[in-house]
Amino acid sequence: MRILVIEDDRLLGDGLQAGLSQAGYAVDWLRDGEAATSALLTETFAAVVLDLGLPKRDGLSVLQWMRERRDATPVLILTARDQLEDRVRGLDLGADDYVLKPFDLDEIAARLRALVRRAHGRTQPVLAWQDITLDPAARSVTRAGQTVELTQREFDLLHLLMENRGRVLTRRSLEEQLYTWNDAVDSNALEVHIHHLRRKLGSGLICTVRGVGYRVPAA
Amino acid sequence: MKGPHSFSLRGRLVKLLTGVLAVVWLFAVLVVYQRTHHEADELLDSQLTQVAGTLLAIMAGGEVEHFVNELHEHADHCPVPIVFEIWRLDHGVMRRLATSPGHDAFEADMIDGFSEHLHQGNRWRFYAEQDEDAEYRVVAGQSHAARERLAREIGLSMLLPALLALPLMALAVWWGVGRGLEPVNTVARQIGRLDAQALVPLDESVALPNEIAPLRNAFNVLIRRVSDAFDNERRFTADAAHELRTPLAALKIQAQVAQRAQTPDSQQHALAQVVAGVDRMTHLVEQLLTLARVDPTKSLEPMPSFDPAAQLREMCAGFSASALPKGQHLAVDIASGCCLALPPAWLDIAARNLIDNALRYAGDAARIEVRFAREGDCCVFSVADSGEGISQDLRARLTGRFTRGETEAEGCGLGLSIVARIAALSHAQLEFGDGLPRAGGGHGFAARLRFNAVADAA
Repeated sequence: MRILVIEDDRLLGDGLQAGLSQAGYAVDWLRDGEAATSALLTETFAAVVLDLGLPKRDGLSVLQWMRERRDATPVLILTARDQLEDRVRGLDLGADDYVLKPFDLDEIAARLRALVRRAHGRTQPVLAWQDITLDPAARSVTRAGQTVELTQREFDLLHLLMENRGRVLTRRSLEEQLYTWNDAVDSNALEVHIHHLRRKLGSGLICTVRGVGYRVPAA
Repeated sequence: MKGPHSFSLRGRLVKLLTGVLAVVWLFAVLVVYQRTHHEADELLDSQLTQVAGTLLAIMAGGEVEHFVNELHEHADHCPVPIVFEIWRLDHGVMRRLATSPGHDAFEADMIDGFSEHLHQGNRWRFYAEQDEDAEYRVVAGQSHAARERLAREIGLSMLLPALLALPLMALAVWWGVGRGLEPVNTVARQIGRLDAQALVPLDESVALPNEIAPLRNAFNVLIRRVSDAFDNERRFTADAAHELRTPLAALKIQAQVAQRAQTPDSQQHALAQVVAGVDRMTHLVEQLLTLARVDPTKSLEPMPSFDPAAQLREMCAGFSASALPKGQHLAVDIASGCCLALPPAWLDIAARNLIDNALRYAGDAARIEVRFAREGDCCVFSVADSGEGISQDLRARLTGRFTRGETEAEGCGLGLSIVARIAALSHAQLEFGDGLPRAGGGHGFAARLRFNAVADAA
């Protein structure tokens, strides 16, 4: 799950990047509003963590800009202001959630999971396909009740495919949503991960759509 | 609460007014008494002349003996009985014709008109008159004591109401003063109702007498100043609390990252970030305390003037070491002989913050020029750098608390607020402008503190 953190404070941004990466997210971190808008123009993120007091372009203005161009990416606002009007304004401008500084790493991670789940129209926290289940919070996968050990990348790839069940995801969009700018991506890494997933979970789970990408069947 | 010097304005006014009025009143009463006494005397005198004149007229008509008795009987019932004597010229000699019954003969050689003589052992007042032919002579007299008694009675009858009027007058003064002082009570009640948490000026639409209105105006000015200071402090506390949230969040997240780190490297990195976070919060707290310690009451005290050159040179020397790690060049040009009058600690704090800002934000290998020199009536302390500079737009907002420039460097955004506060309290101007020329074109940033120069230190 790729997350964009927009936070001008160096220590906090660095901490969020490290902490959310530990929680299994692929995290990109930008420090000002203008850089954030140009990143949002070209890349796809599962969610955005947005600080309000940003240099060059204010957080609320970034949010407004996103919603004006019908970018539905879930936005979690970080705020130091606990005034009601500040929170109401953020939510009215299209924010999906907010947390008040200082916050807990687990809380941020849980809220991001909930945002991603709601963005895909899910109410159940656990994803399921036939006898395979995937629990994003516990980062665990079971097949017929038995836990299946997956690497972080394999889990993230499966999570993406199951989240978009029935839809074909292109190689490019998969890579974009799995890797941050800091990750070195091998050209055939994706195929290797798909191969491992099929070996661990059976070949019916992930179908290859020739020349386009991959998908998990709707049923 | 009764202080040692507390007194009631009303009581004081009542005492003062009643006292002054009583003295004036007493004087008036004495004059009235004296005048009444005098009038009574004149009245009695005219009685004497009238009786004497009447007697003379009657003598001319005869029937003297009978009339004398009648008259005496009648006169005896008066508060001041009149006694008389009638003489007649008989063959060239004046003889006593009749004397009021029960009275000795009067002295013989009484002159015409009023005179006072001893008669039967007491003082009497007499009036003697004779007719045109000098045939008859009449002397009428009244006891001095009786006259005096009557005059005194009349006088006292005037005094009694005046005496009763005195306490009534004091009461009237007390009431009147109370009514007159009512606006004072109104203002006192208004002030008493004020809430220390929500200071609002007194209602100025209520009409007040000219004597008290300035008091209310002065009070309202004070209230506004105090509540401005209150608001300022409240806003500052709120801002400071908010400003602490971000470093706190960073500390917490970094600590959690360290807890969960799977490699020693990432743990060390997170712990180093925690230490950096604590350092940054320490700096923020120190700056907050500095800002709080700039005590505005000091600006009210007269300050001795001093030449800050030595102090500034020493401070700059301390900074030269901080310039080295980033390869920055600190040039110092401090002129002697321009004296200032402000707490030396304030100058130190302001100058330190400006130099610290320059070192922090001007970037690597920047040149920084610190100058102190006389410019006309002013002593100007300036710090100019060859850094990135600051846009006009941002310069206007720089002194706001927790405003940071668009910079990569860490700072808490309080330095220039502190400098601005010191400038305001010491009646100096804080100006921002273009700094030294930059290598790639454009200018860096410069901050100038323009102090009023004062006469040389003694």
